[in-house]
Amino acid sequence: MKLLAKTNRIYLAFSLAIYLFAGLAFYQVVRILIYNEVETRLKVEKRDFEAYLKQHKAWSDTTYFVENKIDVVPVGRQTRLSETFIDTLIQNRYDQELMPFRQLTFYVPIQGEMHRVSIRKSLIQSYQLIEVITVTMAACLGLLLLGTFWFQGKLSGRLWLPFYESLSRIKRFNLASATPLQLDKPEINEFRELNEVLRKMGDKMQQDYRSLKEFTENASHEIQTPLALINAKVEQLIQSEKLTETQTRWIEEIYQASRRMARLNQGLLLLAKIDNQQFTNNQTVDLAALLAEKLNAMDEVLLHKRIAVEIRNLVPFTVQLPPALADSLVANLVNNAIKHNHAEGRVELASNGKNLSLGNTGNALVSNPERLFERFKKEGSSLDSVGLGLAIIKEICDTYGLQVEYAESNGWHRFDIFRKIGAD
Amino acid sequence: MKVLVVEDEKGLAESITDYMNKEGYLCETAGTFREADERIYLYQYDCVIVDLTLPDGDGFQLIQTLKKLLATTGVIIISARNALEDKIRGLEIGSDDYLTKPFHLSELNARVKSLIRRRNFGGHTEIRFREIRVNPSSRKVYVNGQLAVLSRKEYDLLLYFLSNIDVVLTKVSIAEHLWGDNIDSADSLDMVYSHIKNLRRKLLEKGGSDYVRSVYGIGYKFGEP
Repeated sequence: MKLLAKTNRIYLAFSLAIYLFAGLAFYQVVRILIYNEVETRLKVEKRDFEAYLKQHKAWSDTTYFVENKIDVVPVGRQTRLSETFIDTLIQNRYDQELMPFRQLTFYVPIQGEMHRVSIRKSLIQSYQLIEVITVTMAACLGLLLLGTFWFQGKLSGRLWLPFYESLSRIKRFNLASATPLQLDKPEINEFRELNEVLRKMGDKMQQDYRSLKEFTENASHEIQTPLALINAKVEQLIQSEKLTETQTRWIEEIYQASRRMARLNQGLLLLAKIDNQQFTNNQTVDLAALLAEKLNAMDEVLLHKRIAVEIRNLVPFTVQLPPALADSLVANLVNNAIKHNHAEGRVELASNGKNLSLGNTGNALVSNPERLFERFKKEGSSLDSVGLGLAIIKEICDTYGLQVEYAESNGWHRFDIFRKIGAD
Repeated sequence: MKVLVVEDEKGLAESITDYMNKEGYLCETAGTFREADERIYLYQYDCVIVDLTLPDGDGFQLIQTLKKLLATTGVIIISARNALEDKIRGLEIGSDDYLTKPFHLSELNARVKSLIRRRNFGGHTEIRFREIRVNPSSRKVYVNGQLAVLSRKEYDLLLYFLSNIDVVLTKVSIAEHLWGDNIDSADSLDMVYSHIKNLRRKLLEKGGSDYVRSVYGIGYKFGEP
């Protein structure tokens, strides 16, 4: 939920509660005031009535002609002699309508006999008054509520504007680019401080990223150069005529080890570069076509190992990948399918546009298939493999919204690549 | 033929120079950007081998200066960075080739030779070794005047041998020369063997001598029997 929506909602709920309470309280106060007024007047009339009785010693209804004004009923012996106020509804003489009245009931002896006397006052005017007051007040409060709500929305929208501006800039901020994070200097202190802190963090992150990138590049350079030196010296050494066969074998081993180290270094460097997302020039590539092309380019090895290639249903499988990584992915997949194949085996490539699969014959798997994609995980202890090929495949797939799965049954190994759900 | 090697790693520069001198080139070295800059202003080279990362400067800049001074000089970049962008940039500013470290001296030598051949004679020169005659522009091989029909890889292999006469070439370097970097080595070494066998047979069939010798299993040597 957006911050402004949240504050607006809280504000709305709170002011509604307050206004509702205020309205109810106001209504009650007005009501009590009106009742007080009516009851005071009823009491005055009671005194008038008692004064009349004292003077005339008797009561006659004729003195009062106003309907429902007074009611004198003889009650005989009566125990309850208290004075009570009640609300009552009495029918109008002309149009049979029930009208609200306030009634004061008391008992008084007239000519020796106990009478119950009820004096009433119509509440109709008072009720109308309450209604009018309530409606006016509700209207006023409603308008006030809407007004402040609108004002509050506008105000906080304006107040938080620098915040949203900063937020959108941070979203657009690219760690790998050379441009630093640029944020405004808003007049509100808190936001200015926030931007200041964010800017510093951004600069630090970019700097760290750059030094990390440089580190991997420099490390690679520093390792490749001595390896180049070893290689060159070995090459010069084997030109010597005086070497014995054993010495040559030793040199050969040094040479092979240095080659392996170079390949290992290159593999690790590639993985680090993918991790750091240093490849940014994504392009649309058709992996199915690239795989077919690669298999075609490897025809010599395939022929040499007498491996049959079968390509079925080559529907384009387009993905967004940097070309260098697409090439690496395809090369690793094909190399893997050939390396772990046996003579007179088979390689099968199929694509239906959603799923790209490359299968190959081979020996049954010895290691745990779950851990096959881990770095330095090797099937067997082959010397010419550094165990990074599948890790590179997985890393590329993971980083670019693809999923790779491996399955094996009866000496048939298959790699499936498909788009991750939710990824473009 | 004058070659300048710009490389800050002394040992490597020395190996390259030794190899090149043996091949009959006049080879000079420069260990820093400043030294290299000075040399290319003072002398003319047929080929310059440049390392991209120098302690006091950028190899690209050197190539740009060089191309301004004398556009016909061949340039080969040797770099530890195996980045596509570097390769593209190198080609754009006029370098002819790009080798990633670690490389084989024999490979570097073959590339220098091929480059100089292209530069000096536009590829219209024949390579001769005794009774073998190779025409690089038509990719045809004659033994004793007779055409020997070689496959593409056999031709490449022969040319690689002819560029490195009397030098032990490791099997790995031959495999990488023929198929590039990303090929499974166990298979490619077998394939190297079968290509060498076929090449030998085809040369012998046309009455040539057997010039290929196996060296203790580490590699092969092409030269006087």
